[in-house]
Amino acid sequence: MIEFKEVSKIYPGAQTPAVKDLSFEILEGEICVLVGPSGCGKTTSMRMINRLIEPSSGEILIDGEPNTKMSGTALRRKIGYAIQQIGLFPHRTIARNIATVPQLLGWDRERIRRRVDELLELVGMNPADFRDRYPSELSGGQQQRVGVARAMAADPPIMLMDEPFGAVDPITRERLQDEFLRIQENIKKTIVFVTHDIDEAVKMGDKIAILEQGGILAQFDSPENILTHPNSEFVASFVGADRVLKRLSLLRVADMRLDPADGADDLPTIDERLTVRDALSQIVGVGATGGIVERDGERQLLTIKAIEGLLKDSGSARG
Amino acid sequence: MGSIQLALLLQSLDQQLVDWAWIRQNYREDIVPAVIGHIYLSFVSVAIALAISLPVGIIVSRYRKAYPPVTILTGLLYTIPSLALLAILVVIPGIGVGPNAVIIALVAYSLLVLIRNVVTGIDSVPAETIDAARGMGLTERQILFKVEIPLALPVIVAGIRIATVTVIGIATIGAYIAGGGLGQLIFDGIDQNFPTKVIVGAVLATAMAVVADLLLLALERYLRPWARRVRGAS
Ligand SMILES: Nc1ncnc2c1ncn2[C@@H]1O[C@H](COP(=O)(O)OP(=O)(O)O)[C@@H](O)[C@H]1O
Ligand SMILES: [Mg+2]
Repeated sequence: MIEFKEVSKIYPGAQTPAVKDLSFEILEGEICVLVGPSGCGKTTSMRMINRLIEPSSGEILIDGEPNTKMSGTALRRKIGYAIQQIGLFPHRTIARNIATVPQLLGWDRERIRRRVDELLELVGMNPADFRDRYPSELSGGQQQRVGVARAMAADPPIMLMDEPFGAVDPITRERLQDEFLRIQENIKKTIVFVTHDIDEAVKMGDKIAILEQGGILAQFDSPENILTHPNSEFVASFVGADRVLKRLSLLRVADMRLDPADGADDLPTIDERLTVRDALSQIVGVGATGGIVERDGERQLLTIKAIEGLLKDSGSARG
Repeated sequence: MGSIQLALLLQSLDQQLVDWAWIRQNYREDIVPAVIGHIYLSFVSVAIALAISLPVGIIVSRYRKAYPPVTILTGLLYTIPSLALLAILVVIPGIGVGPNAVIIALVAYSLLVLIRNVVTGIDSVPAETIDAARGMGLTERQILFKVEIPLALPVIVAGIRIATVTVIGIATIGAYIAGGGLGQLIFDGIDQNFPTKVIVGAVLATAMAVVADLLLLALERYLRPWARRVRGAS
């Protein structure tokens, strides 16, 4: 668990704080997304956790202990760190890049070798193909995968990720997000994830902290609640006019309770793995009022009306 | 050197240009010591210059304010004509004529390019690479020795290459103040109006520069394995 207590940061020479009186808690095993417009202090907040930046006032507790209890370098070896620019070491092979923190921690060679291969597998890269390559021999998406693998190398309970999928095309980004969520389901790390993209925040976050200019916490809540009850003009405009649709992208057809369909052969067939938003788009796209979902050998009916009902009962969460 | 050689050549066209018999008889007591002396002068000078430039370059890359004065000072040393610098050095008490004065001069000439390349090399390390290193818990020392210096090394070696080639050339003048080396052969040849010595000295000095250049170029490539291999990213 990570707890911000009244944390502020004023850079030397700056007139206004970059982060102001930030207080919130990140629960163990959750992805907390820091989101907000450029320059609102997301990176600064994140980097104060592993003390790449020291706060001007306030403190940050990790598992109840101030993060100043141990040296900055010792602290950072226990916290995974991945950034948009990736920062792979150009002079080291992929294997040695991933081995960075285990090596600092003095793991033996055999253990490091096994861990490197395991991580390459985990991020979907064939170890035999990739371990001896240099970063310059990888595509952007592959480099970001290695960046994430390197951050996870010593199995740190906490990971800091600053726009980790920011430097790739939208399709690759989506794939990396999905893969990462799949990995997180098993590893259950406490993750602080920075992005300026509200869609990414909604997708990745168990909790979202929306910051506004000057490093002020505008709202801290679950994605559902932020989309349903934005607490200010700023949050409402930041999450966008399509926030209703964004809520639908949090839900999957598979999670909806549906009635059996009798007849209605002219309706489009909907894959139950789709998000409700994509299902709605498909239904409206063919000019229908509903669709057929095949589930457990049964044909069920998904209507636009049912989707509307979903939006009315506001608290409905995933799963 | 070029014009002196040419003048001599023209002057002595009636003689046999290269006296092979002399070379055969004297290579052991004249030529080999001159070659060894020359290698000694060049190697020791570049080594000392490097021992100064590495720490100075590293410090300057950290404390940026020190860079302009360091550049001005080493630039000034670099612009003093070699003969003038040697003349100044020999009249300084405690130095006098001999190899030491030559080495001091050669070190002075190498500092500019070496320090500049150390700083350029360290500057060329991407900021995000250093940020990632720090973020993963490398100490400042580890960042310097495991990230910055290895990445700067090819640029530093490029500086060593330029310095070495320059030093091998300038070292020939050192014979003027009894510094030894291949310059001794050349000066003797001029004194004795014996072109063979001049040619042997000049050819060997040139060959030494070329060989050093190639060896250091190979080292530079060897130190950059990540750029050497070209494979399409898939
Ligand atoms: N090292 C620094 N020195 C001075 N000001 C900084 C520094 N880093 C960031 N800032 C300022 O602090 C504010 C927040 O920056 P940052 O945390 O990087 O924002 P974000 O990551 O949300 O884009 C910005 O106004 C930025 O200009
Ligand atoms: Mg940022």
